[in-house]
Formats: sequence, C-alpha cells, structure tokens
Amino acid sequence: MATLVTTITETLRYRGKIGQWSWVFHRLSGLGIVLFLALHVIDTSWAAFYPELYADAINEYQSPLFTLGEFALVAAIIYHAMNGLRIIFLDYRPHLWHLQQKAATYVFVATAVIIVPVWGMMATHVANFWGDDPEFASLGDILNTQSQFLIGFIVIVLVALVLSFLYSLVAGDEKKAPKRASQIDAWLWTFMRISGFLIVPLVFGHLAMMHVISGVFDITAADATVIGTSATNDTGLAVEFVGERWDHLVAGVAIWRVYDGLLLALVVVHGFNGLRYVVNDYFHNPIVNRAFNWVVVFGGAALIILGMGALLAGVEETAFNIAIDKAGISQTFNTWLGG
Amino acid sequence: MEVKLRIRRFNPEKDQKPYWGEYTLTDVEPTDSVLELLNRVKWEQDGTLTLRRSCAHGVCGSDAMRINGRNRLACTTLLQAIDASKVIQIEPILGLKVIKDLVTDFEAFFEHYRSVMPYFVPATPVPSNGRERYQSQADRARFDDTTKCILCACCTTSCPSFWASGQYVGPAAIVNAHRFIFDSRDGATNQRLNILAEPDGVWRCRTIFNCTPACPREIEVTRAIGEVKLAIQQGAR
Repeated sequence: MATLVTTITETLRYRGKIGQWSWVFHRLSGLGIVLFLALHVIDTSWAAFYPELYADAINEYQSPLFTLGEFALVAAIIYHAMNGLRIIFLDYRPHLWHLQQKAATYVFVATAVIIVPVWGMMATHVANFWGDDPEFASLGDILNTQSQFLIGFIVIVLVALVLSFLYSLVAGDEKKAPKRASQIDAWLWTFMRISGFLIVPLVFGHLAMMHVISGVFDITAADATVIGTSATNDTGLAVEFVGERWDHLVAGVAIWRVYDGLLLALVVVHGFNGLRYVVNDYFHNPIVNRAFNWVVVFGGAALIILGMGALLAGVEETAFNIAIDKAGISQTFNTWLGG
Repeated sequence: MEVKLRIRRFNPEKDQKPYWGEYTLTDVEPTDSVLELLNRVKWEQDGTLTLRRSCAHGVCGSDAMRINGRNRLACTTLLQAIDASKVIQIEPILGLKVIKDLVTDFEAFFEHYRSVMPYFVPATPVPSNGRERYQSQADRARFDDTTKCILCACCTTSCPSFWASGQYVGPAAIVNAHRFIFDSRDGATNQRLNILAEPDGVWRCRTIFNCTPACPREIEVTRAIGEVKLAIQQGAR
C-alpha cells in the first residue's frame, strides 16, 4: 500500500517521457473498464434471472449521470485498445523500440480522432432521447442501487480479508513466498496480448451496436428494430431487446450469444488478470495480497459463470411475462415470438 | 553565471525526515558538470553534504541521482544539457534505501544483479590449444549493447514497477542477464531464462520505457528486456 502512494506521487514527479503517461492512462482506463465490466455483467444477467430488476438497471443507464459515465467509458475503451495494440506491437518487435515515443503520440492522437465522431454520434442519441422529455431514474434511486453494488464489493473484500487472516492463522505465512519459475505468468503474458488483439474488434463491434450506431436509449424503443437482428422490439422492454438478440439465429446459430460469450470470457480474464497485476504491484502484505488475489480469481470466475449462465438460460417466457407485468403492458409472449 | 541548487538532504542520525537544502553558486560555466557543482557545495559551503562518486567520467557508475526529475549521472550531466535557468533539483534515486543525502544502499540492487548469474558459464570445455573460444562478429554483435552496463542503477530506479515492488529484479539485472543469454559461447541460458521467468522476473515489466532514456550509456534497455521476454516464450536465438 505504501508503494502505491510512492508510485502515484513519484510518477507525478519523475520526468519520464510519454511512455510513462501511456502507462498511467492504460492502468486508469483499465481499472475503470473492469469496474464497469463487473456491473455490466451482473446487470445484464438480470435480463435472464431478475427481469423485474433489469428494466430499472437500463433506466439507470439512461440517466444523465450514467450518460456521463458512458462517454468516459467509451473514451477509456478506445484509448486502452489503441495503446494495447502499441504495447503488443513493441513487445513482439523489441528492436523497433525507437518508434515507441512516436507510437505513444499516435495513440493519443488516434484516440482523440476516433472519439470526436463517436462522441458526436452518442450525443445525437442523447439529444433525441432528452428531446422526448423522458422520465429519468432519480438520483436517489441510482445512489440506492449503486451503493448496494458498492456495499457488495466492500463486503466481498472484507470477507476475503477475514478468510485470508484465518488462513494465515492455520497455515501460517512464510516469511517469503517460495519463488518458482511457473509457466502461469509466461502464459498469462501471452494471453494478455493475444486476447487484447482479439478483444479490439469484438469490443468495437459491441460498442458500435450498443452505444454508437444505436444507443443505450434504443434498448427501450418500442417498435424499433433490434440492432443486429431482423426482429422488432414490440413492447419496448429492455428484456425483450435482450431476448430478441440472444434468440436471433443465423444458419441455426444464435450468433449474438456466441459473440457475447466470446467477448465475456476474453474480457473478464483479460480485465481481471490486469487487476491481479495491479494488486500484486501495490499490495505486499501477505494477508492483504492473498485476500485480493482470491477476490480477483473467484470474482472473475463468478462473473464468467454468471454471464455464461445468463447466455445459456436466455430470456424465457416466464421472465418476459414478469417484465410485462411490471411494466403494465398487455402483451403476450406469443406476440413477441410472432414479432 | 549563477545557479541555484536544491538538494534533497537527509541524515538519519539527525533528521526526522528529508528536507530540501538550497545553495547558490557563482562563477559557474555551462560546461561544468552537476558533479562539479555538488563538489563545490561540499567543499565551499557545507562539508556535511554526502554523495558517492569515484571516477567522475561516467565509467564507474557511482553518482547516479535524480537531476531535474530524471535519473542521470552527475558527472556526465553538463549544465548546458539541462535547464539550469531556474534551479537545479537534485535528489537520490528512488527505490533504494537512503543512507545519507544522495547516497543510497545498493545491496538490494546488487542482490538482484547476482540472482541472474551475471558471469560466463562455458558451454564447451577449454579448446585443446588452450586459447579463446571463437565467436563470429555477428554472434558478438548480438549482445554488444548490453555489455556496456556500468551498474549505476539509473534504469532500475526509474522504473515504476521497481518503485511498486523492490522484489522486482529490475531492468539492470535483466540487461546483465541479456549479455550472457545471447552469448553464443555461454551454456547457462536456460537457467537464466528460468530465473527471469519467475513472478518477480521480466513479467513485472509493463513496457513503460522509463529505463531507456535514463541509461547514461544509452543501452536500449527496454529492447533488451523485450528480447528476454521473447526468449523465455520462444527460446533464445
């Protein structure tokens, strides 16, 4: 923990060249994305498991506070992707190191160049939605829900700390963890680069569909075509939107389930391993370090299981009816299927 | 010309915590080195100022310090090469324990250095004529860059990963491992690669590139680290 403070203050004081700032922004953007990723996977699984909550979650995503966060998130992802490609390039072509400063500058420029039109398109969705004078989730509701997530995360961390402390009482902490040349770190280093490379097109496609070409607001647009499918969202319910996407078949394959599943697995492992790097860099107390590593490993595994579970379960008739009941719309599952 | 120096001072026997000492020198030439200024402060103004220096010509690697926010050797840093117009800020390198003022304890640094077997392990017995093992010019050139290291610690103490964890073996040790890993005559390549494949080995490098411009010998440090990473993955070539 002490070295975290040192690193922050000294990174600000040390006159490293641009590569140092690339690293700072890579870490910060990565941490921000992982935080949203955790919320997003949990929220989206509600479409399958807690349909009555899913409408509220989407309603909160459409509130101005989250719109602000959405703009930041998209910028963070674009930067993280661009800079990630630079790191991959330099890691596999070390003799081209002399290009790194130029590459780092290009990354910042390319990010800015991409962000401008992307934010522009996102802003038109916002303007359209706000023009219809929508009902936003109240700040109180948002704080209420999000504080539950926050409390949940804190409880998980505290439980891990207590368990780790108990573990140290039983097993004892060796003064220095035995060092061994494990293949895991070498393997994960390669995985981070290959997965990063694969994630870029997947996540850009996902962003294009959900935030840029159509926006978060289109999830609840009644009678609108659900992006990536030929179906219409008859009820304008978020649950139907998700259901239509996941049930959309191309040559008998539910392509968006495959797409989402691939993205989920790659991003969660990539993101949580990045989190593990941060944890191991700055938290050296054996109890704390072990607790945080548990949180990262089991948290990542839980997210994948939850997300994959939702993808496999899909939005069933009962879930759809619950959502309809809650919204007070007279519609039936059959018309949804028919639409 | 006149210059102002701000020097990070700390005497563990006297001071609770470090503080900045300020000194003004006149009759300074742009061709003076920072080391010359430090010597003048010590000799003319405050004899308690403590620093380490030996050859004063950038060969021994004794006087690495952070000058105007960047790691450099005081002896090879001329005033004309840095911004001396306002104040020259000088502090000890970061990540090693400060013994006094600008002198840091290199023991942890050398321990990392020793851990990578920084010595020649012959792959073949002594040639029958008792003379040298031949090596082509191309094979010699393969590791030429990393033979230049003077173990000043400028690179290792410029690395945010080393600031985060002193357990990280650090750029300098990897550079010195590189010098033998890519030596065609050496026989301990795999042992060194295994040592550097440990969690505190090369994988703590995040390709930040602070080490490369910090090197007073202009060694391509990040490149050497990158080559070692690839050698662990694909085998040394």
